[in-house]
Amino acid sequence: MTDQIKEQISALLDGELPQNEMNLLVRRLERDAALRLAFGRYALVGEVLRAPGGALASAGFAERVSSAVAAGVSAAPSASAVAPSSRRRRATPMIGAAVAAGTLFAAVLLLVPEQGEQLQQARSVEPPAPVAADVEATGAASPTLARSQRMAAYLVAHGEYSTPIGRRNVWTGVLANDPGITRVSYEFSEAR
Amino acid sequence: MPNFPPPDGSTESHDERGDDSRPGSGLEKTDLELVKRAQQGERSAFDLLVLRYQHRVIKLVARLLRDPAEAEDVAQEAFVKAYRALGSFRGDSAFYTWLYRIAVNTARNAMASRQRRPLDYEADLGEHEQASVQSRLRHVDTPEAVALSDEIQQTVERAIQELPEDLRTAILLREVEGLSYEEIATAMDCPVGTVRSRIFRAREAVDRNLKPLLD
Repeated sequence: MTDQIKEQISALLDGELPQNEMNLLVRRLERDAALRLAFGRYALVGEVLRAPGGALASAGFAERVSSAVAAGVSAAPSASAVAPSSRRRRATPMIGAAVAAGTLFAAVLLLVPEQGEQLQQARSVEPPAPVAADVEATGAASPTLARSQRMAAYLVAHGEYSTPIGRRNVWTGVLANDPGITRVSYEFSEAR
Repeated sequence: MPNFPPPDGSTESHDERGDDSRPGSGLEKTDLELVKRAQQGERSAFDLLVLRYQHRVIKLVARLLRDPAEAEDVAQEAFVKAYRALGSFRGDSAFYTWLYRIAVNTARNAMASRQRRPLDYEADLGEHEQASVQSRLRHVDTPEAVALSDEIQQTVERAIQELPEDLRTAILLREVEGLSYEEIATAMDCPVGTVRSRIFRAREAVDRNLKPLLD
């Protein structure tokens, strides 16, 4: 610990250290516990001169605080406690993404079980073979599936920007009016 | 100790303000720089803020709680809270003013949770009033704390008195009156670099006496 560095610490404490020297010194202080102790003692001198008497921090207090901070916080403080406005700003894309993912998942849930059910029913039902063939075709590249994929894409895009009620109305309307879904269900009820 | 006039022309002395990080001062710039670094995840920058303000926060909390030993726990909690909330600090006020509020609220919560009667009305006062009652509250300290505090106090005062006059004047103008290096340079009719050197040498001289006590 040279006098030059300690003089910089003294100036840092007074807010009189140039920015370029401050950058280097703060890095040094990060690495050197003896320098940090010197910083603490210089601060104590000022404290005693300004406000005599009263309780003082015991030796090791700052270390305990540092350990408590390290134990309790794993990320930068700005990430854990941000201003509400910026938290909302950051949350918006996340909500959009979550809604989109949720919508996609819902669409898949609506479509996949139906197709799976169709296949299962087709296998369990002995001829008529044409129905089974129709179902197989529907599961592969039917117009219904293509429409369903477009619908899923639409729901994802819509869900990102719409209100919950709006989303629900759109889902209900689109699914209720999907001719492919209606047709498939009808065909299976006929098959049974 | 000599009584220098406040540098800003106010009638309020520096210690009565209870906050040496005057708006726009270099001190505040240092604090803001350290806060900025801590906000970016440099915990060591926050460690420096703790080292700088630990005694002041503990004094404040001890006055409210009547218990220096408990004061350390509450002060620690206040610093941890401050770190967690650092992201919301935008520099609208001095860092210490912001930290002071957190410390007072943490002490109040501690008193409420332990069903203690609040010590006094100082918690409702501003920082200026807080500082003025400080000397009346010595009795709340434990004998050990008072003894150590007295020893530190006497050591610092003795070391200051033993300093050459130019060093003593420089450090008192800085620490007691809160003058900037430039203001001290004007008052002492010397270059700013000389002021910086004198203040450092004064601190070093005091530190040589203080270090054995703290070790």
